[in-house]
Amino acid sequence: MRKLTILCFLLVSLLGTAQAQELSPTEASGKVVFDKWCEPCHGRIAGGVFGGFGAHALPGTSALGVKYKGDLPAVLEDRVDLQPIYIRTIVRNGLYGMPITRKTEVSDADLDNIIAYLTRNQ
Amino acid sequence: MALPPNISETEFASALNEFVGAVGPDWVFSSDADVALYRDSYSPLWGEEEERIASAAVAPANVEEVQQIVRIANRYRIPLYPISTGRNLTYGGAAPNLSGSVVLDLKRMNRIIEVNDKRNYALVEPGVSYFDLYNYITERGLKVMLDIPDPGWGSPIGNSLDHGVGYTVGPYRDHFGSHIGLEIVSAEGELIRTGAGAVPGSDAWQDFHYGVGPSIDGLFAQSNFGIVTKMGVKLMPMPETFMTGTVTVPRYQDLQAMIEEVNYLEDSLLVGMPWYGSPAGRGLFDPATNADLMQNGWPSVEQLEEFVSAQNKPAWSVTFQFYGPEEVVRATWTAVQRRFRDKFSGAAFEEEDFYNLPIPDEDIPALPDKVRLGIPSLEIFHIVNRNPMNDNDPPDGHADMFAMAPRTAEGVHTAARVIAEAFQELDFPAATHPFSTPVTYYSRAFIVGVVVPTWRDPAKNAAMRALYERCLDKIAEQGMGTYRTNLAFQDHAVSKYSFNDNALLKFQEKLKDGIDPNGIISPGRYGIWPANMRNNRG
Ligand SMILES: Cc1cc2nc3c(=O)[nH]c(=O)nc-3n(C[C@H](O)[C@H](O)[C@H](O)COP(=O)(O)OP(=O)(O)OC[C@H]3O[C@@H](n4cnc5c(N)ncnc54)[C@H](O)[C@@H]3O)c2cc1C
Ligand code: HEC
Repeated sequence: MRKLTILCFLLVSLLGTAQAQELSPTEASGKVVFDKWCEPCHGRIAGGVFGGFGAHALPGTSALGVKYKGDLPAVLEDRVDLQPIYIRTIVRNGLYGMPITRKTEVSDADLDNIIAYLTRNQ
Repeated sequence: MALPPNISETEFASALNEFVGAVGPDWVFSSDADVALYRDSYSPLWGEEEERIASAAVAPANVEEVQQIVRIANRYRIPLYPISTGRNLTYGGAAPNLSGSVVLDLKRMNRIIEVNDKRNYALVEPGVSYFDLYNYITERGLKVMLDIPDPGWGSPIGNSLDHGVGYTVGPYRDHFGSHIGLEIVSAEGELIRTGAGAVPGSDAWQDFHYGVGPSIDGLFAQSNFGIVTKMGVKLMPMPETFMTGTVTVPRYQDLQAMIEEVNYLEDSLLVGMPWYGSPAGRGLFDPATNADLMQNGWPSVEQLEEFVSAQNKPAWSVTFQFYGPEEVVRATWTAVQRRFRDKFSGAAFEEEDFYNLPIPDEDIPALPDKVRLGIPSLEIFHIVNRNPMNDNDPPDGHADMFAMAPRTAEGVHTAARVIAEAFQELDFPAATHPFSTPVTYYSRAFIVGVVVPTWRDPAKNAAMRALYERCLDKIAEQGMGTYRTNLAFQDHAVSKYSFNDNALLKFQEKLKDGIDPNGIISPGRYGIWPANMRNNRG
C-alpha cells in the first residue's frame, strides 16, 4: 500500500518520537493503513487544534480538540482509552462528519490492524 | 434484506451466486451489515423509508469481470449502480438512486495506466483516487499538476462523471470538460472506446477526443448509459510559479464593472480561478448581523452604499491566481492592475502569495489552501465537522444547494435574494445576503450556493429538505437551475430543465430505452428512468 508522501513528512517532522517507538508487525501494518485512510483527518497538527476556517487544519483532530477541550488528546494516536469495538463501530458507521468506510477501502483485516495500532499503549 | 424490484428472494440468491462466480466470494457483499456500508453517510433521507439502500454490492477487479456482471444483471433484470471511489458525499455517497440496486463498486480497479508529462495526460481506472494519482506523479518526479476537488479521496473518473470541479486554470477546473477519451462497458456488456481510442492500435487516444462522427462522451456523465472503465485526464504542465494578487473596488455598484473585467481576464485565459469576496460584507456570515441588515427586506442600493461606507472597507474584492513562468505572472499582474486602475477610481491592489513550483515536500503540510496547487488532502472537512461554532450539535453531513447564475451582478444578487427569501419563508436565518459572492468553479458560469446541513434525524431532515426544495423552486422562477444535487433532489432539479414540455428529458429517455433496454444501469440517475420504472419519478 502506497503511503502518502505528504503524510510521511508530517510524521517525520512532527512525530519524531512516535517514529522511534517499536511496533509489532501487526501494529506496523495498522499504522500504514491508518496513515492512508485516517491520518489525513486525524493527523498531528502544529499550533493548536482549530486554526479557524480556511486555515490549515485537520478535521478529525480539530473536531476532537473542540469536543474534549483537552480532557482527552485531540490526536487519535495519543489516546490510550479507545476500545476496539468503539473504533470498529465508528469506522463502519461514521460519526458526525466522519463518513462510513467501506470494505473495498479498508478491509476487516486492515481494520483489525488499525485497532491493534491505536490500542498499542493499553 | 432489501431486494431488487420485482425479483424474488430465490432469483436474487441465484443471481448473487452467479456474481460470486464472476468475482469470487470475497467480493460480493450481501449481509445487512456489509450492504449498510453503501449508505449515504450524509443522506437527507437517513433512516426514512425513502432512503436509498442497496440490495448488495459487487466489486470486480477488471473489465472482463465488469462485462460478466453486466450480462448476469441483464439476464435477471437487476439494476446495477456503478461507483468509482464512492465518496460522492453531499450528492449521494456510495448509495444508488433506486433502492434495491446492486452497487458495482469499482474501487478495486485502481491501475494508473499512464501519466505522460510530454503530452500532459493521465489514463486511469475508476478506483484511482486523487491521492493515488498525486503520489504516482510526485514519486516519479513527473512535471504535471493536477486539478482536484477539495476531498483527495475521490477519483478523477467518479468526480468527472458527476460534473465535478476544481480550483486551478479555467479549462482544467471543469473535470468532465477536461477528460480525454473514455472506455465504457455498455449496458449490454459491449466494450467501447471513444475518440481516437476507437482506432485499433491508436497512440492518440489521449490526444484527440472527437474521432469522427458524433461524440457520445457526454452521455456517460450524470447519467445511466454505461459503465466507464478507463478515462483520460488532460493535465496542466507543472507551472514554474504560482502567485496571487487581490484587487478591491470601493462601491457596492462597482460589482458589475468588476465582473466584466474578470470575465475579460478569465475568458482570455490570462488568469486562473478568480475568487470573489466582499470585505465590507464579511461580518454578514454572522446571522444576527445579516438579519439586522435585512430587517426591512432587501436593502436599496443607497442603503447598501451607506452600509459599505459605515464599514470603511471596500465593497468587493477579487483574488486572482496566476500560474506560469515568473516573468509572465508578474507581467500579467501588472497588466491586471493597469486595467483595473483605468476603469475604477479607488481600486486597490495587494500581491499575496508567491511560490516556486513544485512546493518542496517539507513545506507542504503547513501550506494553506493546498487544493489550488493540486495537492490533495481532506482538510476541507474541517469547515463542516465539529468546530467552536457548532460544538453542541454538529451536523452529520450537508447537502450543497447551488444556483447556476449568469455572470452578471444582477445574476448574483438575484440568486442571493431568492435563496435568502426561501430561508426566511421557512423560518431559517438567511444564509445569503446582498454581499454574497459567486464561486467560479466553472469559468463560464457563476455558482451562488449555500451549505444545507443534514442529520441522522428524520425530523430535522424533513425541514432541511423542504428548505432545499424551496430554494430550487425559487431559483427556477428566476430562470436558474442547479449543476448537481443529492439523490433525494435529482428528479426535482431535473424538472426545472423543462423547456418545451421537457423535450430534453424525453430525448434522454428515448436514448435510455434504446441503449439500455432492460433498464439495468443506475435507474433514476438525474431523472432518467427506464420505460418500466417511469412511475418512480419523485
Ligand atoms: C466537504 C466536501 C467538499 C467537497 N468539495 C468538492 C469539490 O471541491 N469539487 C467537487 O467536484 N466535489 C466536491 N465534493 C463532492 C464529492 O465529495 C466529490 O465530488 C467526490 O470526488 C465525488 O466522489 P467520487 O470521486 O468518489 O465519485 P463516485 O462516488 O465514485 O462517483 C460519483 C457518481 O458518478 C457515477 N459514476 C461513478 N463512477 C462511474 C463509472 N465508472 N461508470 C458510470 N458511472 C459512474 C455514479 O452515479 C456515482 O454515484 C465535496 C464534498 C464534501 C463533503
Ligand atoms: C474525513 C475526515 C475523517 C477521516 C478520514 C477519519 N475520521 Fe475519524 N473522525 C473524524 C471526525 C470529524 C471525528 C469527530 C466526530 C465528532 O465530532 O464527535 C472523528 C472521530 C473518530 C473517532 C471517535 C473518537 C471519540 O473520542 O469519539 C474514532 C475512533 C475515529 N474517528 C477513528 C477513525 C479511523 C480509525 C479512521 C480511519 C479508518 C478515521 N477515523 C478516519 C473525521 C475523520
